[in-house]
Amino acid sequence: MVAILQAVLSGLALGGVYALVALGFNITHSTTKTFNFGQGEFLVAGAFVAVSGLLLLAGKGITDPLNPDDVTLLRYAGSMVISMVVLGLLGVLLYYTAVRPFVGQAGLAWVMSTIGFGIIIQNVALAVWGPSAVVMPSPLGNDVIRVFGAGILPQEIMVLVASIAVMLCIDVVMRKTKIGKAVRAVAQSMDAATLMGINVSAIVVLAFVVSSSLAGLAGLLIAPITTASVYMGLTLALKAFSAAIVGGLNNPRGCMLGGFLLGLLEALVGLWHAELREISIFMLIILVLALKPEGLLGQRQVEKV
Amino acid sequence: MPTAARCRRSMPGEVIVAETPLLQVEGLEVRYGAIEALKGVSLEVRQGEVVTIIGGNGAGKSTLMKTISGLEPAAAGRVLFEGRDITRLPGHLRVPLGIAQSPEGRQVFPDQTIRDNLLLGAYHRNAGAAELEADLKLQFETFPRLQERQRQMAGTISGGEQQMLAIARALMSRPKLLLLDEPSLGLAPLVVRKIFGVIRDLKARGVTILLVEQMANQALAVAERGYVIETGRITLQGRGADLRRDPKVRAAYLGEH
Repeated sequence: MVAILQAVLSGLALGGVYALVALGFNITHSTTKTFNFGQGEFLVAGAFVAVSGLLLLAGKGITDPLNPDDVTLLRYAGSMVISMVVLGLLGVLLYYTAVRPFVGQAGLAWVMSTIGFGIIIQNVALAVWGPSAVVMPSPLGNDVIRVFGAGILPQEIMVLVASIAVMLCIDVVMRKTKIGKAVRAVAQSMDAATLMGINVSAIVVLAFVVSSSLAGLAGLLIAPITTASVYMGLTLALKAFSAAIVGGLNNPRGCMLGGFLLGLLEALVGLWHAELREISIFMLIILVLALKPEGLLGQRQVEKV
Repeated sequence: MPTAARCRRSMPGEVIVAETPLLQVEGLEVRYGAIEALKGVSLEVRQGEVVTIIGGNGAGKSTLMKTISGLEPAAAGRVLFEGRDITRLPGHLRVPLGIAQSPEGRQVFPDQTIRDNLLLGAYHRNAGAAELEADLKLQFETFPRLQERQRQMAGTISGGEQQMLAIARALMSRPKLLLLDEPSLGLAPLVVRKIFGVIRDLKARGVTILLVEQMANQALAVAERGYVIETGRITLQGRGADLRRDPKVRAAYLGEH
C-alpha cells in the first residue's frame, strides 16, 4: 500500500513535467499546426541554463561544480526566471529560423528544421557543459518527507505544485483574459483573427515563447530529480509528446491530463515490472489511438468550409 | 480612369469639390501562383453609400474583399482608404483605420461565447468596460437573438444567427466601412430576407457598406450602385436600379432567360 502511494506521488510529479512539455506542444500546435520536435533539447537547455544561473547567482563561473550550499530557494527562483527568459528568447529564434520559413508549405520541412535546431542546441550544450551529467541539488534538500508512510522527495512536491500552478495560470489566462481569447481566436482561424485587428504574427511568436519557456521550466524542475544530462531530452520529450497524443493534442486540458496519466502509469507499472514501463506507455497510446484517435479530451477535427 | 470618373462636371459658377471617396481600388491584381484571380479591378465606395459587387462563383468577389481587408497581398494596383494608400498595410492594422469585414462563411469563433465573439470585434479599441457594454447593447438592439444567447458558444447557434453575429462582431469595431462577403450564403430564403432587412437598417443608420453577393436581385435592390465582376474583371457598373434592368444582368444573374 505504502509502495503504491509512493509510486502515485512520484508518478504525479513526473507527470507534471510531462504535462508542462505537452502543454507546450499544444500551444504552438493549436496556433500554427507545427511544434518543436527539438523540445527535448529545449528542456535540456532549460536545465543547464538554470544550473549556470544558480552558479552566477552564487558568484561562481557558469561551468563550475554546483554545491548544495549554492542552491537556496531564492536563487532557485532567480535561476527559474533566467532559464525561462533565455528559453523564451530561444523560442523566438527557433520560430524565425526553423518554423516561419516553412509554415504553410507542403511537406514537413519544419519537422527537420526543428529537429536540426534541437541538435544544434544539444551540441552547444555539449561544448559548454560537457557530456557528463550534472547533479543539481534541490533547494529544498534531500530529506525524504513521509506522507502516510510513503517517502517523497521535497523536490517532487515542488514539481507537482509548480507545474499545477503554472498550468492553472495558463488555463485561466486562455479562458478569461483578452490576450488568451485572442490566442484562441488565432487558433480557430488566422484570417478571422486578423479581421478582429489581432496581430496574428505576434500571437504566434508569443506561442513559441510560452512553449519554449515551459520546456525550460520543465528542465529546471526535473533536473534535481534525475540529474541534468545533455542526453535526457529525447526520452522526456517523446513521453510528453505521447502524453499530448493520449490526452488530445488540440486540447490544453487534455495535454495536462495525458501528462499526469502517463507519469502515473509509468510509476505504477515500474513498481510491478520496471522493464515494462516504456512498453506500457506505448500500449496505452495504441489503445487510445484505436478507440479515440483524437485523444481522450481531443476534439475531432472538422473540415472547415 | 477612376480619377476622371470621380470629378463631377462643373456647372457654371459651381465650385468643384474634389471629395475623396472612402475606398478606392485602382487596377488591383491578385495572383494565386499562376492563376490570376483579379486582373485589374477598379472601384470606389463613397461615404454613406451601399455598393454591391455581384458575380458568379470564382469570379473573384471574395478575393477582392480579402485584398481590401489585407488578407491577400496585391500583386499590382492600389487600395486607398480615405485617400491613404494601404496596399501594403498588414490586415490587422486596417481594422483600427475603420475597415471591418464579415467574412465569407461567417467564420465566427465556434469555441467562444457569442459575447466573447462580439468583444473580439472590439479587440483593437482598448475601450473601457462601460463603453463596451454600451456597444454590446447597441448590437443587441439590432440583433435581439444574440442577446438571448450571449452566453452560448457561437458554434452551437444556427447559420442565420452566426451571420448576424458575424455582422454584429464587425460593427463592434465601429467601422467606417463595413465589408459584407456573401452574407446570404447557405441560408434559407426566410433568413436571407432577414439578413437583407438588417442591411437596410444599417443603410438607414448611415453605415457605408460594400456588399458582395450572389443574390444579385436583393443586393441590387438595396445598393445605390453596383459592379458586375466576371473572371477577375469588372464588366459592368452602374446604379443598382439600372443594373437590375440591364438585360445582360437579368440573363446572367437574375435567373431570367
